[in-house]
Amino acid sequence: MSRPETNPLRDPRDRRLPRVPDPCALVVFGVTGDLARKKLIPAVYDLGNRGLLPPGFVLLGFARRDWGVGEFESLAREAASQHSRTEFREDVWRRIADSLSFLPGSFDDPEGFDALAAKLVELEETHGIKGNAAFYLSIPPAAFPTVLEQMARTEMSDNSVRGGWRRVVVEKPFGHDQQSARELNELVDRVFTPNDVFRIDHYLGKETVQNLLALRFANTLFEPIWNSHFVDSVQITMAEDVGIDGRAAFYDSAGAARDVLQNHLLQLLALTAMEEPVSFDAEAIRTEKIKVLNAISLPRDLEHDAIRGQYDQGWLAGQRVPAYLDEKDVPKGSTTETYVAVRLGIETRRWAGVPFYLRTGKRLPRRVTEIAVVFKKAPHLPFDATDTVELGQNQLVVRVQPDEGVTLRFGSKVPGSAMEVRDVSMDFLYGASFTESSPEAYERLILDVLLGDQTLFPRNEEVDASWRVIDPLEEFWATHPPEKYRAGEWGPRGADEMLTRDGRVWRRP
Amino acid sequence: MTTTLWDTNGGDIVKALLVERRAAGALASGLALSLVVVVDEKHVAEAETAATVAAAAHPCRLLIVVRRSLERDNRIDAEVQVGGRLGPTEAVVMRMHGRVALHAESVVLPLLAPDAPVVTWWYAAPPDVIATDALGVLANRRITDSAQASDPIAALQRRAEDFAPGDTDLAWSRTTPWRSLLASAMDPVDSAASTATVGCETGNPSGALLCGWLTSKLGVETTVEDTKGPGITEAGITVNNGYRVRITRPDGRLATLSLGEDPERKLPLPRRELGDLLAEELRRMDPDYVYAEALSAATGVGGLDQRPATRTHVWRDPAWAESG
Repeated sequence: MSRPETNPLRDPRDRRLPRVPDPCALVVFGVTGDLARKKLIPAVYDLGNRGLLPPGFVLLGFARRDWGVGEFESLAREAASQHSRTEFREDVWRRIADSLSFLPGSFDDPEGFDALAAKLVELEETHGIKGNAAFYLSIPPAAFPTVLEQMARTEMSDNSVRGGWRRVVVEKPFGHDQQSARELNELVDRVFTPNDVFRIDHYLGKETVQNLLALRFANTLFEPIWNSHFVDSVQITMAEDVGIDGRAAFYDSAGAARDVLQNHLLQLLALTAMEEPVSFDAEAIRTEKIKVLNAISLPRDLEHDAIRGQYDQGWLAGQRVPAYLDEKDVPKGSTTETYVAVRLGIETRRWAGVPFYLRTGKRLPRRVTEIAVVFKKAPHLPFDATDTVELGQNQLVVRVQPDEGVTLRFGSKVPGSAMEVRDVSMDFLYGASFTESSPEAYERLILDVLLGDQTLFPRNEEVDASWRVIDPLEEFWATHPPEKYRAGEWGPRGADEMLTRDGRVWRRP
Repeated sequence: MTTTLWDTNGGDIVKALLVERRAAGALASGLALSLVVVVDEKHVAEAETAATVAAAAHPCRLLIVVRRSLERDNRIDAEVQVGGRLGPTEAVVMRMHGRVALHAESVVLPLLAPDAPVVTWWYAAPPDVIATDALGVLANRRITDSAQASDPIAALQRRAEDFAPGDTDLAWSRTTPWRSLLASAMDPVDSAASTATVGCETGNPSGALLCGWLTSKLGVETTVEDTKGPGITEAGITVNNGYRVRITRPDGRLATLSLGEDPERKLPLPRRELGDLLAEELRRMDPDYVYAEALSAATGVGGLDQRPATRTHVWRDPAWAESG
């Protein structure tokens, strides 16, 4: 760890100096995959371009390819030049190219891991990485146990052996139910120490999500009304216009609830509903999130308040798209859901009685993620009933993506001689002016891993608590086939009816 | 997108800005600050480019003031733009002739974004005493660039004597990558430093500030060596136990880092563009006390952080100087 307290050049008032990680290696398993090419390698380049990589740094690729470092470099170069956020500059790239390394090997091949362990020792000498390494497991979940066992065997996961830190980054899915998640957590926490395990949920790396905490806890304006006295309901939406993108094998065994609801949506819910943390450090924030996740209650009537859907063929953005069942490699008669809408409650004094409506789906009209807090209507309106027909409920909407920002919707008088009140929106565009400087989620998260900052990573208890919510739903759905919805519309009829019964409607995002 | 006003007045500029804003819709909502740029005619294009880069990171209302000959009759020409070639920002470029240029603040004040911080940036030789320029007095943050002066080291001295919290200098922003590298190189070091050196082009104000920073933070004598440049070319720290940190950058682009016995490492350390420097300055609106300490150590002027943060405008008529 860096020791700012003993370094005379570090001054807490000096906000210009960025935090730069210790010398270290970032080892990526499955470095030839999509995620590595589109996100990880570009993020490393962007960090380098912003001067946030330590002087001693190595990006070590590990994959089943008969490659030398030359082939890896051309792959990495193409990935960085195509997908990096910041401008591609030759001199920055040359420096990163100097710190690239590649090892061929498959996940079940002990020799590959012996070679990797030896390579890490060698890099201490040649690149001065001081025994620090972060392992990024961009691999299918089925390969997790094998890889982790190999790491345990070669002792490369052990902090004490080489005198530096050893960290591991795991991607979702974290298991497929509570039981399997526990086994996985138990394994990864045993091989590494719990503090060295980083579970990536890339939504938490997004600026607007972090801004939600600033919005709530840095202002006096919102917190007093952030409770069941004023809030009528909360809608959290994550809609995608794409289909399953050729990931049929994975998707068909998971479905929307495991793929999105269990992690992204429940994390967004936790950040929206949690109490104020006592401080802004990782432990305090996670403690509050856990409390909320543990307080989530499921609807009593699952049949009407936990809706699954599966898209049928239809038209989307002017193109004809096939039904889920007709997508390549989807088994005939599959009952996997591509849409979920569920009404959850939070059993705390702050939120008792406020429904949290969560929905996610594929092949919906547009790609959007947002959190909408809908406020109660004013208890009394001193206007004529006809004056306020067009007045809805006040809303505070945090737009997570795209077009990041915050919208506040309230009633305003329509100009003219008659008293007429109508909803207007006040917009704070985070995107329009800030995007150029706001880092990509992966950039931020990789930097946090190398710095050892756990704030934006869910802890294993959070994963466990999320599965506690999902498991009963999955159990119920096992005997209830999903409802069909046309590709290009906002989900199945049942989801609309779920809100209609409560006297509400879904927001059109 | 653009309205050009010839021989106009402050009131009409305010109206034109309002009309442009309405026409552009929500384009420029979420202003974080007003940036007042004081610039000579020949540097307008450069200042605009830099401000556009900075505005991409910090949405601002850009007010560019060009003061032209005092001798001519009073006249203001203005160009009002929202979301035009200056990027996603609101910009007003004002050219002032005659004595109205001495009262530029009377035009600028009604144009400032409501209740947002004001930053004034002199992209020209900075005034000797900032209190004599009302555009500096009304700002929360003042950015000068000593490197623009004919004698930069003397200009730095002036900045120290005239300092008030909230002042910064681009010569200081230019040291950030060096300071960042030095600080991370010192992270693993346990014992105290014994000596430090800085090598830079003769009369380079950034070199002087880097030296001042090392002196104030390490508490050791730091020597400056003159080199051919460009800019800062090297910096080194020797620690009591003999461990050495040394960074050299002879070509202004690629640096070589050597830490103790470790093998040398090359890394890019390019001299940064004006826009990046400005964006760094706009990132924070609070006084930079680390700069104050470095400036104090570099110039020998003490008590900088004790100075009051606000100035009172001092009227100084250039006509007096000529007659007296």
